[in-house]
Amino acid sequence: MAAPLFLLAPPRSYTSLMNAMIGQHPQTFGLPELCLFNVETLIQLWTRTSDEIENFSKTRQGLLRAVAEIYGGEQTTATIKMANHWCFARQHRSTAEVYQELVRDIDPLIAVEKSPSYTISLKRMQAIYRAFPDARFLHLVRHPVATCKSIMALNDGAFAMYVNSIDFLEDRAIVDPQFAWHDLNTNIFNFLQMVPPEQQIRVRGEDIMHDPTHFLGEVCRWLGIRDDAEAIDAMMHPERSPFACFGPITALFGNDPNFLRGPAFRAHKVKVPPLDKPLAWRPDGKGLDPRVIELAHEFGYR
Amino acid sequence: MSDPNERPPGNRPKIGHIDGDPVTSHPKLDTLSENQRALRLAVIKEFKAKKVKKFVEKQVQHINTNQRIAEGIKFLFDEEGRPPPNMPMEDIIAERRHIEYEIRWFEAILEELHNRLVRVKEIEDHALDMLADRFTEE
Repeated sequence: MAAPLFLLAPPRSYTSLMNAMIGQHPQTFGLPELCLFNVETLIQLWTRTSDEIENFSKTRQGLLRAVAEIYGGEQTTATIKMANHWCFARQHRSTAEVYQELVRDIDPLIAVEKSPSYTISLKRMQAIYRAFPDARFLHLVRHPVATCKSIMALNDGAFAMYVNSIDFLEDRAIVDPQFAWHDLNTNIFNFLQMVPPEQQIRVRGEDIMHDPTHFLGEVCRWLGIRDDAEAIDAMMHPERSPFACFGPITALFGNDPNFLRGPAFRAHKVKVPPLDKPLAWRPDGKGLDPRVIELAHEFGYR
Repeated sequence: MSDPNERPPGNRPKIGHIDGDPVTSHPKLDTLSENQRALRLAVIKEFKAKKVKKFVEKQVQHINTNQRIAEGIKFLFDEEGRPPPNMPMEDIIAERRHIEYEIRWFEAILEELHNRLVRVKEIEDHALDMLADRFTEE
């Protein structure tokens, strides 16, 4: 069975685009966000467990769309209904078992998936590794300021609040996603310490945006799959993925709605913001924490 | 094939309070002081209040402009007003009819329950009156 590839990154780090691009290679199968390793058994994806902020009904739409596409050959209200029955029949199975079944049925194509929520907890990533000891992991990084701006622009920074990325001052609390950026990347680092070097690679999103042919070629060679012009060209068309659009009315999402609306890719040079300026989302005018800057330097940002 | 138990995870320190319970998604709050928990709750309340305010503003706008589709739904359609390929008009109409049917079904059940409640209340009142009369006689 072809070992799956997991993209590990905090949200708003080009994960949707990268997943769709790599998933369009002739030897891979890009999946939507499955969020399977967020829970232990399948039924827990239907059981509301947090009242704080998250909308749980969207969490399972990626899985429903994937099942509809893999077993029904298309995504319609009828195949989504079939997918619901498929999940019902497996509701008490572990999510590891369910995922293994999907990967077996996609084989020999390499399953490619990203769910940024996996990086919230080391235990989630360890669950992936236990289910797939030969899985490959691509650590995708993005500039901290750009990532944080994008997090704050989506639903007023709901994700930052959801993961407790809050700066507690004496008399106030400021929602600041830089702590999430630092700690989620730290979670990934700490997890990847468990994984042999040949099963992991780190790539900067900005580099792929600027020179996709070169960097996607490197990823292909690392994965041991074709890196010829035809294969690379296929990866330049993420919009051709069956999941790069809104789904049927009963399972609309399964990925970033902005990506679903406009999934096409055009190579471009990303303007990298400075690391030492005041942050736009902070009312107190402070900049990045020194420890965040240190990690950014480690990723090659100046 | 590598062994997931062979190497331990790294121990780089974190700077926030991010790592949460992987099943419930609740963030770990035991690392926060009482004051910090109160500040956190205040931030969440403010966020939810802003969300409700935005929702109400949208609804008011929707009501005020009658036929204009709310921005959130308009987002799904392309510049020509066509729905996405996976979401043909027939499916949207069928889903809308299905939900309306379910609403009518629930409304019918609700009315039936109201009727039953009225009858049971009358019986209850009558029984209580009779008990009161008997008690007075005794």
